[in-house]
Amino acid sequence: MSIGVILSAVDISYKFPSGKQVFTDINISTGENEFVSIVGPSGIGKSTILRTLGYLIPPTSGKVFLMGEEVKKPSSRISLIHQSIATFPWMTAIDNVKLALIGKGLSQNEMNDIARNTLETVGLKGAEGLYPKEMSGGMRQRVAIARALAGSPVVLLMDEPFVHLDELTAEGLRQEIYDILFNPLTTLKSVVLVSHNLDEVLELSDRVFVMNGSPAKIVDELIIEMPRPRSSRDSRFSTYLDKIYASLTPTR
Amino acid sequence: MPMSLLLIIQLAVGATILRVLLIILGSILIGWFLAYASIKSPIFENIYIPVISSLESVPVITFFPVVLVIFVTRIGGAMGSELASDFLILTAVAWNIWIAQYQAFKTVPKELQEVAINHELGFFSKMRRLYMPFSIPKIAANLFPSFADGLFYITVSEVFSIGTKTFSVFGIGSIIPALLASGDIYYMWVAMLTLAIWVALFTFFFRYIARFSVAKYGLDTAAPIRRGGKVNIMHTYQAWNTLTGPMKKLSKHFTSPFRALPTKGSFGRKWMALSSSKKYITIGTFLLVFIMLLAKIGLYVVSVPLSYWRYLVSYTPVIIYGMAFDYVRVVIIAFISLVIAIFVGYYLAVHQRAAVTVFPVIQIVSAFPAPVYFPLVFAATFGYMYAVFPMSSEIYVLLLGFISTFYYVFYSFWMGVQTVPSEFWEIMENHELGFFTRMRRIILPATFPYLIAGLSSTIDSAWGGLMIGEYWPDIIKGKTLEVQVGLMKMLDVFTYQGKIGPAAWASLLFAIVVTIFSLFFTKKLMTMAREKYVIEEGVYAA
Repeated sequence: MSIGVILSAVDISYKFPSGKQVFTDINISTGENEFVSIVGPSGIGKSTILRTLGYLIPPTSGKVFLMGEEVKKPSSRISLIHQSIATFPWMTAIDNVKLALIGKGLSQNEMNDIARNTLETVGLKGAEGLYPKEMSGGMRQRVAIARALAGSPVVLLMDEPFVHLDELTAEGLRQEIYDILFNPLTTLKSVVLVSHNLDEVLELSDRVFVMNGSPAKIVDELIIEMPRPRSSRDSRFSTYLDKIYASLTPTR
Repeated sequence: MPMSLLLIIQLAVGATILRVLLIILGSILIGWFLAYASIKSPIFENIYIPVISSLESVPVITFFPVVLVIFVTRIGGAMGSELASDFLILTAVAWNIWIAQYQAFKTVPKELQEVAINHELGFFSKMRRLYMPFSIPKIAANLFPSFADGLFYITVSEVFSIGTKTFSVFGIGSIIPALLASGDIYYMWVAMLTLAIWVALFTFFFRYIARFSVAKYGLDTAAPIRRGGKVNIMHTYQAWNTLTGPMKKLSKHFTSPFRALPTKGSFGRKWMALSSSKKYITIGTFLLVFIMLLAKIGLYVVSVPLSYWRYLVSYTPVIIYGMAFDYVRVVIIAFISLVIAIFVGYYLAVHQRAAVTVFPVIQIVSAFPAPVYFPLVFAATFGYMYAVFPMSSEIYVLLLGFISTFYYVFYSFWMGVQTVPSEFWEIMENHELGFFTRMRRIILPATFPYLIAGLSSTIDSAWGGLMIGEYWPDIIKGKTLEVQVGLMKMLDVFTYQGKIGPAAWASLLFAIVVTIFSLFFTKKLMTMAREKYVIEEGVYAA
């Protein structure tokens, strides 16, 4: 593996137990401080690919490497943020975050400090004692992000993390997310996002992989070269958008 | 005449199963109307639901002396025995089905109700096209526990004695003891095998119904709808899947953990909406019924001589003493059941291949009534057991309690584990949580409502096991299984001796204690579970 590559999938394929081949020969890699997105039509296997990258679903064939080391089981070094916002209703915000710190040999005080700091990073200072049902959808998703970050991940896998938020909340969180994730206080080195929302993808990504076909393959790869913060009014934004649409439409 | 005996056995099994099925069917039919009445009338709802919830938490054996008094001594004859047996089955099968129907009616989506109103559907049309179909998955989820419970009690209620008189109805529960007594061991085995085959077939059948009902009547289900066709029994893997699959899908239709009791707020709003005259009529009706009830009880109490009341009350200390012993037994049974349920249930939940094989076996065994085969277990082991452990009666009673009740908490916990969202499993994997951390922080809290519901059923059914085991005359020829102290033994002995008064008094005290226990312990835990440990709130999808 070349230096600077954080996560790489080499020739990975996945077949459902029913025999249906979902995707095949997928090669994806992420670099340091790189935000990568995967787009594709509905039902093509984007969420499945994300889970194989974290070994939550082992690929049928091919290998995944994290900083040159083969991934053979799920670990908090590659952390997943779900599409449906998953927080434990019987735990407060801080307890939800501390879940990621269990078994790491930390004292209760250390766990509390890390969880508090992480909640502060995601903008939830003062909400440590709230239960999920006392929070808005946006706050819950921040708790889920804080939990993922508290586990000191190297890679964050995000499965349509804004899809269940109202547009205003989603836009606010999108604007902050890049700074939250690549904050010097976090251990994060790469992010892989799966999304249907192409505006969101272009707003956040450094690189975009386009999936299409059946079984799905990577049909295009685009490097997004636009300064941040990005605006959809930027003419380059529309150009990239057209390119992605062009790759998405023909095959399926 | 072996051939005719064989035929009698088949007919007896048929009669027993038919009795249970007809009563389940009757319960379903009545339950639909009761459920409809409860969603239409807040007053009826506020009486009906607490009453059936309390009745469900009172062990079925509490009804035993009442049944004997009313049906056997007042009606008498073959009809009295039949009705006594049927009533006992009804008390075992009806409550959970009625609660399920009520819950289903209560949760019919507003949009569908609006369509029914829009098209001006009448009562029968609404029932046929909306409420009844919508309640089918919940009913299906409750068929199996009701069937198992009904069979358990029918085998002990098909034959019973009061004093020197023995009453029996035709069925496998009366045939097996007769075969045992006459030494026809071969035919006794045939009878048991026949029952086992039918139980297994019905277990399959209920699971098939469950799968079908969820696919056809469940909202937002991924299960494909079956449009007729035959089950290919050659495809064994698929057949086994029909045994494990439906239960997973049915977990959201399972009744006990989420009893949607009417809330004070909803009652208050409906009450406020009533006109003044309706309010006065309601209050008046209530008062009238209450006064009539009080008068009836008062007359009854006065009609019993004071000396007889003194005689009954004099039994109270010994009844309480026996009850304390039995509570210890129930706690032991519940604890062992809980521990096994958690470990085995979790193992099966995360090892689907093992579940496909083990789960149906557990289900079939649990549906096979323990009182039928327990004498054989006793006969095979008592010589060794009593030689090694002088306190073996206790072990046998605990074992009978366990095998007749373990299933409820196991099934409930397993159902609970199935409802843990895939997101939570991924988080556990992702953060590499160990077994005990998973259990403590996620699985046990997530399944808490299911555990409480299952434990509550386990405790209720454990009483039934104790009732049978604590005093079992002639469990095998010339041998009586009995414990030293126990309320259930006391009830058995009173009934056996024809002392219906003390038996009814002991039952009343027992019912009061059980109801208090249910109100202050089970219901409190259930409320806590409903407020705090609601797994559905863990996944936010706007």
